[in-house]
Amino acid sequence: MTVTEDTTTTVEPVTVAVIGTGAIGQDLVSKVHRSPVLECALVAGRNRESEGLRHAARLGYPTTSGGIDAILAAPRPFDVVFDATNAMSHAEHWRLLRPLPGTLLIDLTPSRVGQFVVPTVTGTHAPTERNVSLISCGGQASIPVTHALANRFAVQYIEVVSTVASSIAGRATRLNLDEYVATTQHAIAEFSGVRDTKAILNISPAVPPATFRTAIHAIIPDATTDAVRAVVADAARRVRAFARGYEVIACTVTGDQVVVSLEVAADSDVLPRYAGNLDIINSAAILVAEQHAARLGSAAARTGAVR
Amino acid sequence: MSAVEIHDPTLRDGQHAVRHQLGVAALRGYAEAADAAGIPVVEVGHGNGLGASSLQVGRAAVSDDLMLSTVREALRHSRMGVFMLPGWGTSDDLRKAIAHGADVIRIGVHCTETSLAERHLGFLREAGADAHCVLMMSHMASPHELAEQAALVVGYGARAVGIMDSAGHFLPEDVTERIGAIAGAVDVPVIFHGHNNLGMAVANSVAAARAGAGILDGCARGFGAGAGNTQLEVLVPVLERSGFETGIELYGLLDAAEFAERELMPAPPVTGSLSIVSGLAGVFSGFKPQVLAESRRAGVDPRDVFFELGRRQAIAGQEDLIVDVVAELSTAKAIA
Repeated sequence: MTVTEDTTTTVEPVTVAVIGTGAIGQDLVSKVHRSPVLECALVAGRNRESEGLRHAARLGYPTTSGGIDAILAAPRPFDVVFDATNAMSHAEHWRLLRPLPGTLLIDLTPSRVGQFVVPTVTGTHAPTERNVSLISCGGQASIPVTHALANRFAVQYIEVVSTVASSIAGRATRLNLDEYVATTQHAIAEFSGVRDTKAILNISPAVPPATFRTAIHAIIPDATTDAVRAVVADAARRVRAFARGYEVIACTVTGDQVVVSLEVAADSDVLPRYAGNLDIINSAAILVAEQHAARLGSAAARTGAVR
Repeated sequence: MSAVEIHDPTLRDGQHAVRHQLGVAALRGYAEAADAAGIPVVEVGHGNGLGASSLQVGRAAVSDDLMLSTVREALRHSRMGVFMLPGWGTSDDLRKAIAHGADVIRIGVHCTETSLAERHLGFLREAGADAHCVLMMSHMASPHELAEQAALVVGYGARAVGIMDSAGHFLPEDVTERIGAIAGAVDVPVIFHGHNNLGMAVANSVAAARAGAGILDGCARGFGAGAGNTQLEVLVPVLERSGFETGIELYGLLDAAEFAERELMPAPPVTGSLSIVSGLAGVFSGFKPQVLAESRRAGVDPRDVFFELGRRQAIAGQEDLIVDVVAELSTAKAIA
């Protein structure tokens, strides 16, 4: 969408910066690398020797160990900044980036600061606010289903239990369990209208690592197995449009208790297959950035402005 | 004689055996009896600890707030203990427990994942609480790894650290080796928490004391998941005969156990066939009620389910795997 038919103007690609060089940051860089409309302009970390910065440099992208200060010091603000640091740092990053005109901040941490986005639920339009929260991996995996169930049935309670492989759970994830739980519960409630929600996260050290999984338990008095399966299958099909490894493993209804087990396998150049937790949240983040790029592109086409 | 401190999680770990359904009268009655016997620490809560009431493991009959205020009121001398699993409970739950007067706060983590406790142990250190850290499913790590992890949590702020034999898998020599390694790596009291799947809980606890453990867990009548925990009223006199002082009064202890048998449980735990299998398979004993229910529904052998869960290295908290394993075994059966 960055290419306009008006050949008298040159539309520059949408520039993005990634802050945070853990597994999630590395996968973001590789997904930006794959994207036809996003141009990685800077990858910022704090340790020059980190694997994340080396990976970005190998792909030919500018890197810095200057962290958020380097992002702020850029001569022209980036169109999109991905925050792949931690929930505690995010609020400060937003405070610093907020004054920059035109920068969209996309938050991969469970900070609960920005506008919640779940692609199949909040739609494919560009976000209306300049700070967008991707909630959490468990939120991205479960909310498409919990939202669909709540639309179809009178749901009384929702509980989401996710299990992440230990080898892919970095220090920020481990320190942010409280934020993960609070933000995931809050988002499930917000999108389903069900007040009584619970989120649980397990970290599994099994070897070989198990694929990321999310179990949804719901109390639904009038559910039938066939009706639940149809709703869940439809929701999953829509998620697979952008996260190909998203699968329903089991779906059972016993009395008023519904259990839906989901697995997400990663489709990534850098992540192992089992790291679907990172793949689904990053795929959603890239989708948001691409929608933003499309909006910038069409605005440029309308005005004929050179951005 | 050297001293050992007894920590009694009857009103927390026992909850697994009754699907977390202990009521207020039972909580109050047992806490009063344990207090009268001079048991130093009485732990209370949902079986998986603060904030863990859920469909995944069972919803509690009584809220955390009511459980804690009930037991607090009942204890005059004993200290009140609580338990919390990061990812299940949060710092908010810890804050509330402190406000309710919890004296000993245990953070439980899978034995190789102690970095998950860093934040909460740090929070408890700031709050000045007596923070313990227990490494669960400890048969899944070597003595050396356990010692390394124990040293880490002491660095995070734990004032005591130890292991839970969550699957009841250990033999006494396994315990001696592990407790010895941990005691050599830290300068805080070492905890041992036994399960009785292979009939070894008391013997394992004595081995732990001899290897340097300073805090031992036991439950009245062994009240706990599956084959139960270390039987407290057996453990205490055995420790005394072995030369370890507990400070607990024997008749009071026996009375508390009588109360527990009468008011807390339909029947005391036995080492049933399925508990032996879960001990051999190295799977958390607390999975038993759900394994039984799901296996019956699908017509598969629950023993096969336990061995398959063991093969998948299921850890405590992963009850959602049971449905998958049962479905898979049931499909395999239909094909065969």
